Amino acid sequence: MLLCDFHIHTRHSDGAVELRRTVDLFGQAGFDVIAITDHVVNGDNAYGKLARRLRFSVTESTFDNYMTAIRREAERAWEQYRLLVIPGIEISKNHLSAEKSAHILILDVKKFIAACWGYEKIFLEAKKQKALVIACHPHHMSDLSKDTLYLWNNREKYARYIDAWEIANRDDVFNVVSLKRYPYIANSDFHRPRHLYSWKTLLDCDKDTESVKQCIRHNKGVALTLFRP
Amino acid sequence: MEPLLIMVLLVIPGILAWAFQALSVRGAVREASVPGDYAADLPPISILKPLRGLDDNLFQNLESFCRLDYPRYEILFCLQHQNDLARRVVQKIIEKYPERELRIIIEPCTAGLNPKVNNLIPAYRASSYEHILISDSNVSVRPGYLREIVRRIGDPSVGLVSNLIRGRGGRTLGSLFENLHLNSFVMGSVCFLDRFMHTPCVIGKSMLMRKKDLEAVGGLRAFKDVLAEDYIIGRQMHRQGKKVVLSSHMIDNVNDYWSIGRFLNRHTRWGKLRWQIGGFRYLSEILTNAVFMSWIPTLIWGASAPTLAFGLSVSALKSLYDFLLGRRIGSDLATGAYLLSPLKDLVIGIIWFVPMLSSSVEWRGNRYLIGKDSRLSPVPVSIRPSLRHRLTAVIRARLA
Repeated sequence: MLLCDFHIHTRHSDGAVELRRTVDLFGQAGFDVIAITDHVVNGDNAYGKLARRLRFSVTESTFDNYMTAIRREAERAWEQYRLLVIPGIEISKNHLSAEKSAHILILDVKKFIAACWGYEKIFLEAKKQKALVIACHPHHMSDLSKDTLYLWNNREKYARYIDAWEIANRDDVFNVVSLKRYPYIANSDFHRPRHLYSWKTLLDCDKDTESVKQCIRHNKGVALTLFRP
Repeated sequence: MEPLLIMVLLVIPGILAWAFQALSVRGAVREASVPGDYAADLPPISILKPLRGLDDNLFQNLESFCRLDYPRYEILFCLQHQNDLARRVVQKIIEKYPERELRIIIEPCTAGLNPKVNNLIPAYRASSYEHILISDSNVSVRPGYLREIVRRIGDPSVGLVSNLIRGRGGRTLGSLFENLHLNSFVMGSVCFLDRFMHTPCVIGKSMLMRKKDLEAVGGLRAFKDVLAEDYIIGRQMHRQGKKVVLSSHMIDNVNDYWSIGRFLNRHTRWGKLRWQIGGFRYLSEILTNAVFMSWIPTLIWGASAPTLAFGLSVSALKSLYDFLLGRRIGSDLATGAYLLSPLKDLVIGIIWFVPMLSSSVEWRGNRYLIGKDSRLSPVPVSIRPSLRHRLTAVIRARLA
């Protein structure tokens, strides 16, 4: 089974560790597949503008550099650790109200997708790019992070666009996802080295991007594991 | 007595110790830079790698052993459990280097109380060659490493070869403290004991031996219940008339993400070891901690311009000393990191007292009582948990 983590932040947004060291950290720990998913924050309200001002977001102007850096690291990671690195982003629609906020992972992204777009436009653009759409931390979380409940509250409307839901994020488990029998994965939402030790996904598939995406979409051969020292 | 004289007297032992340590490190570095004649006979070697969990830089540490410039050697990765996180890393290494003789030995062993020796026993049994190298998982080596140390064991009177350890990396305060301590106190003390006192001080991160010499001191099982198995093996070999040699070839101990807690845990444990093994010689450590001693006048007479100036001067001198020593040994620590050196010495000075108050150690998730010569015994159930454990339990219960 491939040991995977599809939700990782670096200093390209609000992560504490730079991209190269992040890749090394996962490579040294024996991971098989990771996705780098820095925030793309909506700039259409004060909250989002502040995040952009603090450079906690990949923007349209920095997106190409971001992708180039990931591709370069992906080559090195494969050569050095046989670690598959998938480029991604986390669309972060932040609002003061948790009910209006949503975070969406787009894995294997190719072109910039803006967080201020409407949900349907974002999902359709992701499908056009053959990227994978993951609803992340869809329910109440235990730590001080703000909840992002919009997608869960509107699941009837949007579930058909979503390839998988995060059933576990870092230390939290969202059992509601399994009750609805949605496809699921588990991730660390890595921001700091200690987040390495958290919930992870195990996949029974070949180690290439297409197989990984297929495996998540079909949700067969998917297992969860709590990665602890 | 004049306060100024007292102050000077307090730090003289420390400054003398720095001078001797600097001389001995300088000698070791010079020796390492002189290319030696490699032995014509390069015996095959079994490298035993006890593993547990993920160390910083684990993949590259293990990989560095697959890139050794040496004709024949095997590596036995020893694990106690199938589900150990290190297993996946080892499997990747094995896949990456199919041409190497690499094996995983997974066998739970409860022969003794020392988990590292327990881990080593099955691998030792499975090893193919007469020469064995016990090598910790947290070290990284250069390609010439094996040739260099085999050169030293070519002499039949030599029973054990160990190496100098250099701390590298440092992304957190805990790991910076650890690397500063390895590169100054540990490096200096080991070189000093070797060069001036001719006393073997083996650090178990790298130990090359012949099986017959190890068997002559009782084999691994004789050390299954001691915590400082490395030091005691060296001492036993020395007592048997075998030379215990310190190779000047430096190996790297990469510490990137240590917490302060881990640093404190390791050095209280090591302090307890030295107290139990060295007895009153342990006193010399506090007397030679010049930074700690230099702040005693401030503690006794209060903060005044002379006492603060004295403490700050000695601290600045220590930063400079560690910086120069670091440069000498090729440390990769940033210049600014040396400003932390006096703070680290103060912390070390404070935890120096812990061994007088407690003889229990926590190592790799287990708690033991430590006796003479670092002999371990289980913590009796009747012993009340330490204040720290009680506090932790209360906080956990509250949070739950």
